[in-house]
Amino acid sequence: MNHFMIKQFNGLDDATAQRLHSLGLQVGSSVQAVRFYPFHGPVIIQVDHQKIGIRYRVFKLLTGGKPL
Amino acid sequence: MTTVALLGNPNTGKTTLFNELTDKYAYVGNWTGVTVEKKVGQIRHSHTKVIDLPGVYSLNPITKDESVVTNYLLGHSPDLILNVTNASQLKRNLLLSVEVLELGVPVIITLNMIDDLKRTGHYYNLKTLSTELGCPVRTTNARNKEGLTELKADLVRDQSEIKPNLPLKLNYPLMVNQAIRQAATSLTKDYKVEPKFAHWLAIQYINNNKVVRKYATMHQLKPLLSQKAYYDAQKFDDQIFETRLSFIEKTLASATEQLQSTQHVAITSKIDKVVTHPIFGLPIFVGIFYLMFKLSFDWIGTPLSGYLDGFLSGPISSWANQFLTQAGALPMLRSLIVNGLIAGVGGVLVFIPQIFVLFACITILEDSGYMSRAALVTDRIMEMIGLNGKAFIPLIIGFGCNVTGIMAARTIEQPKERLITTLISPFMSCSARLPIYSLFVAALFPRHQALIVLSLYFLGIVVALFMAKFYHVIFKAKEHSVFIVELPQYHIPRLDIVWHGTWDKGKGFIKKAGTIIFAGTVLIWLLSNFGVRGYVTQIDQSFAANLGQILLPVFKPIGISTWQPISALLTGVLAKEVISSSMMVLFHTSNQTALIAMIGGSFTAISAYALLVFILLYIPCFATIGTIKSETGSAKWAAYSVISSLAISYTLAFLIFQIGSLLM
Repeated sequence: MNHFMIKQFNGLDDATAQRLHSLGLQVGSSVQAVRFYPFHGPVIIQVDHQKIGIRYRVFKLLTGGKPL
Repeated sequence: MTTVALLGNPNTGKTTLFNELTDKYAYVGNWTGVTVEKKVGQIRHSHTKVIDLPGVYSLNPITKDESVVTNYLLGHSPDLILNVTNASQLKRNLLLSVEVLELGVPVIITLNMIDDLKRTGHYYNLKTLSTELGCPVRTTNARNKEGLTELKADLVRDQSEIKPNLPLKLNYPLMVNQAIRQAATSLTKDYKVEPKFAHWLAIQYINNNKVVRKYATMHQLKPLLSQKAYYDAQKFDDQIFETRLSFIEKTLASATEQLQSTQHVAITSKIDKVVTHPIFGLPIFVGIFYLMFKLSFDWIGTPLSGYLDGFLSGPISSWANQFLTQAGALPMLRSLIVNGLIAGVGGVLVFIPQIFVLFACITILEDSGYMSRAALVTDRIMEMIGLNGKAFIPLIIGFGCNVTGIMAARTIEQPKERLITTLISPFMSCSARLPIYSLFVAALFPRHQALIVLSLYFLGIVVALFMAKFYHVIFKAKEHSVFIVELPQYHIPRLDIVWHGTWDKGKGFIKKAGTIIFAGTVLIWLLSNFGVRGYVTQIDQSFAANLGQILLPVFKPIGISTWQPISALLTGVLAKEVISSSMMVLFHTSNQTALIAMIGGSFTAISAYALLVFILLYIPCFATIGTIKSETGSAKWAAYSVISSLAISYTLAFLIFQIGSLLM
């Protein structure tokens, strides 16, 4: 149900994009959103059996939202 | 002598492996360029030296800490690289391995935490992996000491016995390959760069590695510099990443084997369900810290400290006194040893139990994997003050020692955020401030000791957060914070690992007792036993008294009415632990109980609390000032830190004392 596909890295700063790449994420990777924190706090996503915490803004961008 | 460099992603158990492989190690200061400690160890009964490098995700560094690895590879050539990987996250771990294999230095890859992998129901065919990657592949589980004997046998070989590796050659797209070849060829021809190294340098340069680009500019490597615009315009770095990732996916797909038994890693998820709960996560975090303080100050640490104090101020002190009297030592020397050194240095040593319990708790949190969860649940709050949850970790480590806390800030990506974290770190109440809190709470708040101490820690955090927000506004930091935090599997803390970590953190405290605290105590003894007329028997006529009395009007408004604490505060800049040993000397007492009675007599609850707040926030110790200077690279920030913290501490102590006195 909480499955998303990574659509883009556009609009992210270089450091964030690079770090996400290093964690094995690329366009087309499927991610599962495990947990959302209140007040647009961080999001825990699961990719390739690993859990990563990212900011809500980054999550939105990755899954195809507009840059905030 | 064979040199092995240990290299790998964070959370791969690299440090545990290092500790298991080597039996003795030392911190050796200063890499070229950045000041950071490197850890060098020796494998028992061998001529193999092992170098522990910081954990990195790639050779293209984002943080200061990560640049150490690339700088090491640019400047040194180890005989062997041991690439430690997390077996259950091989895909992204191999991204780094590929970069290392391209270097052409002999590499051994070990799949560490192999048990975690087996539990997911997968396994890898090691032969297939080894053929595809072109290097030996081993499996280990450092926490249970599995596979270590075999790995050690690989590492203790002589330089001549290590088989050379061919550099890994990936099928990069045609244009990229051509660019690499051209650059490498002319680097070798015109700049006499060794062919394998030239090849690697070219790939890294094209892949937009910041450190390598700086290196090329410094050495004026024209073949690379002249093509920079072309490489970037063609987005070669994206193509390199995609090629690497698809190579890895293909390799892993061909090597994956399914295991019969599948028992899922349910424990981590179960714990996380509670610990990272969106609403309860934060209260749980606070609860864990409360527990940590209870353990250190109420349940274990304080009672043990009491026994130690009884022993030092009782039998040891009277035995030394008797011995010196019998040996016919000068009364002055006897006073120096008994009232100065044993009382002073001993007065600090008695806090070893409390400090070690606190360090053990911090180590357990680090080792179990909770720290990254703490970063996660605190991120939303930290975002409000313009930092991110990761800044919380250096601050927590700062509870142990501000110096290590500031060092830990190296893992923060944004330079401005790192500067802010560095500047607010000294407000974290480090363990060196504990001795003096303990004395005062025992004297004036005997029934609420843990609560009062916790309130000071809390106040430190509040001031730190407030200042962070202030700096964030002042610096006009606009760029978004980089916050990506990995949540590793939980591990049950192992006793020897916890002891190792505790000792690593705590030995500095014991060392300080023998050096700077010793020196500080002698200094304060001299100041309190000599005056303008030479050796004085009345402490009121000593230099220490003169100095304290001159400054007394300044400290009156914050509730200090005697000169002794003022002189003690001055020595506290050497190291905060010295404050309590100075008090011991200045009040002419030889044990804690007597000193506590003295303090109880010369302070009220409010003036004592005001003083504790002042001690919490005033000038950082020498070591911290030095670290701020080296980490920010400027003496101005260090000076700023001294002045600002003095102003803040005085203002707060003033407010507390004045308002408190009105209310009471």
